[in-house]
Amino acid sequence: MPEKRSETRELLITRVFDAPRALVFETWSKPEHLVHWWGPAGFTLPTHQMEFRPGGAIRFCMRSPEGHDHWMVGAYREIVQASRIVFVSSIDDDPSHQVTTTVMFTDEGGKTKVTVQQLFTFESDATRGAEKGWASSLDRLLKLLAQLTAASAATKEAER
Amino acid sequence: MTPALRPERLDATFAALADPTRRAILARLATGEASVSELASPFEMSQPAISKHLKVLENAGLISRSRDAQWRPCRLEAAPMKDAVAWLEHYRHFWEQSFDRLDHYLRRLQTPNVSTTNAPKKAKSHARKKK
Repeated sequence: MPEKRSETRELLITRVFDAPRALVFETWSKPEHLVHWWGPAGFTLPTHQMEFRPGGAIRFCMRSPEGHDHWMVGAYREIVQASRIVFVSSIDDDPSHQVTTTVMFTDEGGKTKVTVQQLFTFESDATRGAEKGWASSLDRLLKLLAQLTAASAATKEAER
Repeated sequence: MTPALRPERLDATFAALADPTRRAILARLATGEASVSELASPFEMSQPAISKHLKVLENAGLISRSRDAQWRPCRLEAAPMKDAVAWLEHYRHFWEQSFDRLDHYLRRLQTPNVSTTNAPKKAKSHARKKK
């Protein structure tokens, strides 16, 4: 029997903010800041509990503009003042789909670069047969998928 | 938040795409249908080894095989890949939009003489003049 283990995938997103690093970090560390920016446009955080310390709990209710509530529940794993935050979370009470988010804050010519790295972990029967330790940039995978779907569509067009 | 997708299916898609041989098979099938021997020819692999990869792709719904024709050609199925793309785009969208809002919020925090209830004191001392 193959051992049950999980596969991870990674997503990397960066943005440079025109603000000092200490301030940018602060906007991630207090709920009174997070309510102003967390989530896509139109989302609100009617419930937000965050114990900003390693091991501290996170419990957000993210409400979509249509009024749908989505719960993000997790815990902080690592906090390094003004430079690094690591937390794990799952959405809508789905423990089979865990996300580990690492946020890094670095100086970039008087501005602050924020790098969000997300590792997705799936645990299910389907992953048991998968290759060990595979991790790839989701951006690369995204490009491949786009190429494949485009090529497939072009072929179908040509067949007509 | 997350698109209405079954995680098992998404999982199967990513697991199937994890292998370079299977990705190469998909790339070949993107140009049109092919038989097992046609798919096996570019690889130094036996047909049974290729068949094993095809089984994984078929179980993930990424390819289908004709039951009628004797040579049972394989064909690419785009739907699961479109789902995977949508799922990835959803996460990217979450961060891009949050960052847009954070950018706006940081500007507000650093604007002098604007009373922001939540503005930390250090925001003002750090506020820089625009060149």
